[in-house]
Amino acid sequence: MSRKKIPKSKGTSAPSASVLPAANGPRAGRPRTARPGSEAPHNGPPQPGRPSLGGGGDFYDVAFKVMLVGDSGVGKTCLLVRFKDGAFLAGTFISTVGIDFRNKVLDVDGMKVKLQIWDTAGQERFRSVTHAYYRDAHALLLLYDVTNKASFDNIQDWLTEIQEYAQNDVVLMLLGNKVDSAQERVVKREDGEKLAKEYGLPFMETSAKMGLNVDLAFTAIAKELKQRSMKSPNELHFQLHDYIKREGRRASCCTP
Amino acid sequence: MEPAERAQAARDRVPRIDPYGFERPEDFDYAAYEEFFSTYLVILTRRAIKWSKLLKGSSSVQKSMTVKRYIRKGVPFEHRARVWMGVSGAQAQMERNPGYYHQLLQGQRNDSLEEAIRTDMNRTFPDNVKFRKSADPCLQKTLYNVLLAYGHHNQGVGYCQGMNFIAGYLILITKNEEESFWLLDALIGKILPDYYSPEMLGLKTDQEVLGELVRTKLPAVAALMDGHGVLWTLVVSRWFICLFVDILPVETVLRIWDCLFNEGSKIIFRVALTLIKQHQAFILEATNVADICEKFKEITKGSFVTECHTFMQKIFSEPGSLSMTTITRLRESCRAKLLVQG
Repeated sequence: MSRKKIPKSKGTSAPSASVLPAANGPRAGRPRTARPGSEAPHNGPPQPGRPSLGGGGDFYDVAFKVMLVGDSGVGKTCLLVRFKDGAFLAGTFISTVGIDFRNKVLDVDGMKVKLQIWDTAGQERFRSVTHAYYRDAHALLLLYDVTNKASFDNIQDWLTEIQEYAQNDVVLMLLGNKVDSAQERVVKREDGEKLAKEYGLPFMETSAKMGLNVDLAFTAIAKELKQRSMKSPNELHFQLHDYIKREGRRASCCTP
Repeated sequence: MEPAERAQAARDRVPRIDPYGFERPEDFDYAAYEEFFSTYLVILTRRAIKWSKLLKGSSSVQKSMTVKRYIRKGVPFEHRARVWMGVSGAQAQMERNPGYYHQLLQGQRNDSLEEAIRTDMNRTFPDNVKFRKSADPCLQKTLYNVLLAYGHHNQGVGYCQGMNFIAGYLILITKNEEESFWLLDALIGKILPDYYSPEMLGLKTDQEVLGELVRTKLPAVAALMDGHGVLWTLVVSRWFICLFVDILPVETVLRIWDCLFNEGSKIIFRVALTLIKQHQAFILEATNVADICEKFKEITKGSFVTECHTFMQKIFSEPGSLSMTTITRLRESCRAKLLVQG
């Protein structure tokens, strides 16, 4: 009566070069300040180039782990799906419970960079379940919702959490999401910029709905991580801050 | 008939929306489902007759060996709410506290609680027609009320994501706000350890307990997990928090809950162990962390879990003996370890 029938797994069977999640929980945290990513030293074991062929022709030269964090409902899953599939999940997605991930391979200056992107539950009590994974992240995208003041006010808490559990040299970027909702906006762009400056973080406003700056955010992260892993002295030093400043688009030009 | 024709014929016969209001997923295997359901329908009919006889003349359902045996074989849809209310003690609680539920709804406002619940309203079962904003009646309001009342009732827990899915199922089955509230209280306050409290210690404990059970019963899988440093949280936290909602097929989840309400939280371990044991060889093919995560998602799909009647028989045979004494002992030691770790 019982038959085992397993659908084929899709595209994630390439050997992940990612660092393994810690078996012993988070390491002892020590206080420090968040710094701009571009000045930070080389991050923990970057992934050795292991070109591989997995399901769906999933070739890559180097792989990194990126985590999405921020309050519940700021749009982490939507940002990820917009980047992964180029679609907006209008009313068809459910709250993320626990932790999940998706892979995407990007072409960065001729190199295949695989980003393994971890999506986390935003509700405060889930932090104690998810922060064990921070330490293996090469980059963190910290999101708030420009239409939700509390999610912006909580950024400081998130930074404390990140300082305690993530690697010292994690690439960190602050994103103000949902700028398409111009009418409901309560956090000004300048407020986001000011906070980012205070902590030396690269900052952008995004819209998962319109696709504004979404690819840019991930591409910038991928470029930064790739450069760090290369450590090539001949290569022009990639400047994350300058890059997103140059490439980033304003919400105003894209609001409907 | 050719397989393609058969699939199309099944597609034409099986409704796109299931009896609970869920739209069937894009990749739903209509032919396999129809084949399973034609067999299951016979079982359902037989069980319905037996249950009607059992319940005839009695106003409430009490726990007994007969009831336990009956429940393991499945509670028919029309009796489910009544059976859950009876065996979980929710009915008794509701009768002891008349008017309490409505008082809770009129209790002192709590902005952060309301905001947290509201954030999840559109994100609870968007694939269910009864939870759409356009539905009439729209179950979102019912869901909001149940969760709000519960947050007022159990202030130590308040609202935890995951409770939205559980309350949603309770509403779909009972079609009654107050009963849903008391069933949610039976689950969170009595049947489950502290999964949803801010520390989530019960959840973390049970994930470790599952790890220990796997270590004893399926050592190769435990070795794989250890070898890759995979924390159980990564692969099973949703199983525990959502009690398999949105992980296993609806009918299978309801069959699991039948036993959960009657026999308690160890059923969750039985289900988890059965899933892992059945797919042990498949899981062991994994060569890295991402692979392991993917395998744990895959094992919750396919005919093994869709064929809920056989699946429920398996959960009582496959994992072998699993006494509450063992669970309690493991919970104590795992909890102590977690507390030391901080």
